[in-house]
Amino acid sequence: MKRYMILFSAVLVLCALSCAELEEGKTKSIETHVQIDPETLDVLRKINSVSAYEVPDLGLPADDIYAKTAQDVEPFRHVKPFKEHFLIQVEYTGPGRALPEPQDLETVKLGFIGPIMSTVSVATGGKSHEETLGIKMLQGARLAIEHANAKGGYFKRNIPFELVVTNDNGLWGASGNEIVNMVYKDKAWAILGTIDGANSHIAIRVALKAEIAMMNSGDTDPTFVETNIPWAFRCISDDRQQGYLLVDYLYRKLGLKRIGIIRASSRYGRFGVREIKDGSRRLGNPIILEMAYNLGTRDFSLQLERLRKENLDAIIHWGDAIEGARILNQMRDMGMKQPYLACDRCLSDEFIEIAGKNAEGVICPSPWNPKGKNKRLTEFRKAFRKRFGEEPETFAAHAYDGMNMLIWAVQVAGLNRAKIRDMLAYRGTPWKGVTGDIMLSACHDDVGDVYLAKRKNGKWNFYSREDLKIPRGYISPRDRVSRPPAISSNIKLRTME
Amino acid sequence: MKYFIAALGILTVFWPGKTALVEAKELPGDLPAFSSASATVRKLPYVYTEWKHFTVKNGLPNDHVFALKADGPKVWVGTENGLACIDKRTGKIKSWGEKDGLPWRVISALDINTKTGELWIGLLGGGLARFSGGRFDHWHQLNSGLVNDVVYGIAIENDNVWVATTAGASRYNTLTGEWTIYTEKNAPMEEIWNYGASYDAGKVYLAIWGSGVLEFDVATENWKHYLDPDGEMEIDLYRDDGIVHVITTGISHIDGILWVATYFGMSRYDGRYWRGMYAHETGLPSDFGNAIKGRSANEGWFATDKGLGVLADFPSDTWVTYTMDPKTHRGKAIVSRNQKVLESIDMPKGIPHNYTLWVEFDGNDTWVGTSKGIGWAIGSGYYKGLKDRPVHEAGDVRTKAIE
Repeated sequence: MKRYMILFSAVLVLCALSCAELEEGKTKSIETHVQIDPETLDVLRKINSVSAYEVPDLGLPADDIYAKTAQDVEPFRHVKPFKEHFLIQVEYTGPGRALPEPQDLETVKLGFIGPIMSTVSVATGGKSHEETLGIKMLQGARLAIEHANAKGGYFKRNIPFELVVTNDNGLWGASGNEIVNMVYKDKAWAILGTIDGANSHIAIRVALKAEIAMMNSGDTDPTFVETNIPWAFRCISDDRQQGYLLVDYLYRKLGLKRIGIIRASSRYGRFGVREIKDGSRRLGNPIILEMAYNLGTRDFSLQLERLRKENLDAIIHWGDAIEGARILNQMRDMGMKQPYLACDRCLSDEFIEIAGKNAEGVICPSPWNPKGKNKRLTEFRKAFRKRFGEEPETFAAHAYDGMNMLIWAVQVAGLNRAKIRDMLAYRGTPWKGVTGDIMLSACHDDVGDVYLAKRKNGKWNFYSREDLKIPRGYISPRDRVSRPPAISSNIKLRTME
Repeated sequence: MKYFIAALGILTVFWPGKTALVEAKELPGDLPAFSSASATVRKLPYVYTEWKHFTVKNGLPNDHVFALKADGPKVWVGTENGLACIDKRTGKIKSWGEKDGLPWRVISALDINTKTGELWIGLLGGGLARFSGGRFDHWHQLNSGLVNDVVYGIAIENDNVWVATTAGASRYNTLTGEWTIYTEKNAPMEEIWNYGASYDAGKVYLAIWGSGVLEFDVATENWKHYLDPDGEMEIDLYRDDGIVHVITTGISHIDGILWVATYFGMSRYDGRYWRGMYAHETGLPSDFGNAIKGRSANEGWFATDKGLGVLADFPSDTWVTYTMDPKTHRGKAIVSRNQKVLESIDMPKGIPHNYTLWVEFDGNDTWVGTSKGIGWAIGSGYYKGLKDRPVHEAGDVRTKAIE
């Protein structure tokens, strides 16, 4: 009885507090049909209370340091820069929050853009090459929509979510047209996509003009978020984070010195290795040789002969799985026995099928741990297998998370593009996804943990930095402009275990 | 920056007289200030205090204004949902939508061929259109040499129309019908995402997202490019070493001066020296620059997401910052020099919204496009640079708004 009395009293107090708070703030009624934490409720109250001319006083999320960058791999670390970007969130100051929710909808449309149909590749002039990834991405997004609809769809109106699917055909510029169509013709409320770095950039430029949130779950180009667009988000760790881990592993852990790179002559290849090259140079081990190949190449002897002559300690590949596997096979055929490290796109069945036993010992960075002990992941795997008859991989899992983040934002914010953006931008707690906890940085990037995958006994094993005891460079707790520049290069910086 | 402006605003309200006097003592010797019996007089820039607004209530097809172009007694307006034309003499607005032949509703850029009077229209996702003699003509990816339908900028160069698109630039010769496409294959574009175009004195300037600024010499057909010398996205190593960032969003060239807007700060280049400008040290309301328009070598107008920043006199670093009070909707103009407020002017009307997107000059007047309508700033008695005039006292109500 006593227990019930306490419970009853607590409910009364909570009700009283809740009423008092609403009265005091004189906010509009909070119409939400999902469970939300007090912090989110506060954000919702504030964004619901502003006029077309006001900006909600929410305080801007800020980071002390950009992208968890160690001091010894910061660019121009001995100089105090005049300005450091991306530490404070760029806010949306337009009038969009005052737009009323439409009443006459039959579905809530969410956009999808990804490479799902074969077309001409800009890079090769031949067949495009990213459909295998895009189709996985679509499967993940579709499953998220289906799960949301099974739970009742858009709760506020009891109407289903509808996925508006468009093909990112790989031709530069086409993604811009697709975003325009999704915004103005299909009237989507938010969009997920895409994979290609160039097309993703094009898409978010349109999203900025048209004012619609874009969640990216497949483009690991570090520059995607380095654009200051308040409408762009990413829920996958990028090549910067993966590059930092590789650099730490190669130099701080293994103590290697002579590293070579072979990469695709594409934006993905070019930008993917940038942090590895910069990090290597800044740690005193400049990349010995970097060779590029055209997409679709089958014979890599020219590149490999040059690399062989350099007596390298290890070789890094950045490109697609097929080329990655062929390069590995040719390396081994040529008697090159160096450790082979490849980008996360090589963590695929395609790579294993082509590389065969040569895949043994290959190391890849991974934006997540697909073998992590996570109940959500287990359930997702089960549901994915049941729905599509196959295993989910990186692109499917991240798309599932990304689409679920958008659905959550819609459920909480209602049908208003600016408020959907706000919910993602001001979320104060990590998103509990199937790929792990996703906490967005001030510039809306997923800077969560990345992993190293090692192929052993025919299986990929995933290791965290801690598992492998990979040292990390000292990360300053202060931004670069307000702290003294790094000490002279000939004095070794502190290393954190 | 908003705290800086707010704090200075409060200071000005509570100590109006002192602010001006203290400031006067700190002025450099070449900019003297003196007090007369009625008011303090000092060298100050022109401040627009007469504003008229145009919104959907006046007949605009949409309040989200992406582009403006003055053309004699008319001002053309490109909105998110149609084309409009304001007759300055009558205040009447005529508009065109897709049902009237406009090929696509979202207009992102406008320019006039002064030789023919044709209006050229950039369409976000719809290509390029020409409005002439009451008829719309349409060019797009499938019927012309337009490289992409997502158009962000237009510039008329002699008989050519330059179109900045999301996948390169196209140049259309209106006499011969010839198209030329510029991408990474034939121009020094590190990226091909063109954002803005400007033509002046024999050169075309392109603001390119991720590729800084490109300059095309029409006579020689040679390209020159300007990038951020540090080459890093997350920092600006030195303020005045070049463009503050490679993600450029707007470009304007006039009187030998290149003005550049980015989402990270602004830049000015005189052919020899660069000057970077950031909100924390100037009168810029924000570093997020949606557009830039240079009025002269020393006067540049920056449309940002938090108001309008006007570098009114470059040599003396004198700024006028126009904002709108989001609660009262009154306008505010703050004149500052080297981060010191010289005067704060409260106005019944100012810019219609703080999210500003475009600036267009029209003689002494200025037109400002925002995401909530257009502001027509009437420049009665406009003057360039600085001149001796009385300081507006805080709360001065001499200003007026045209209803």
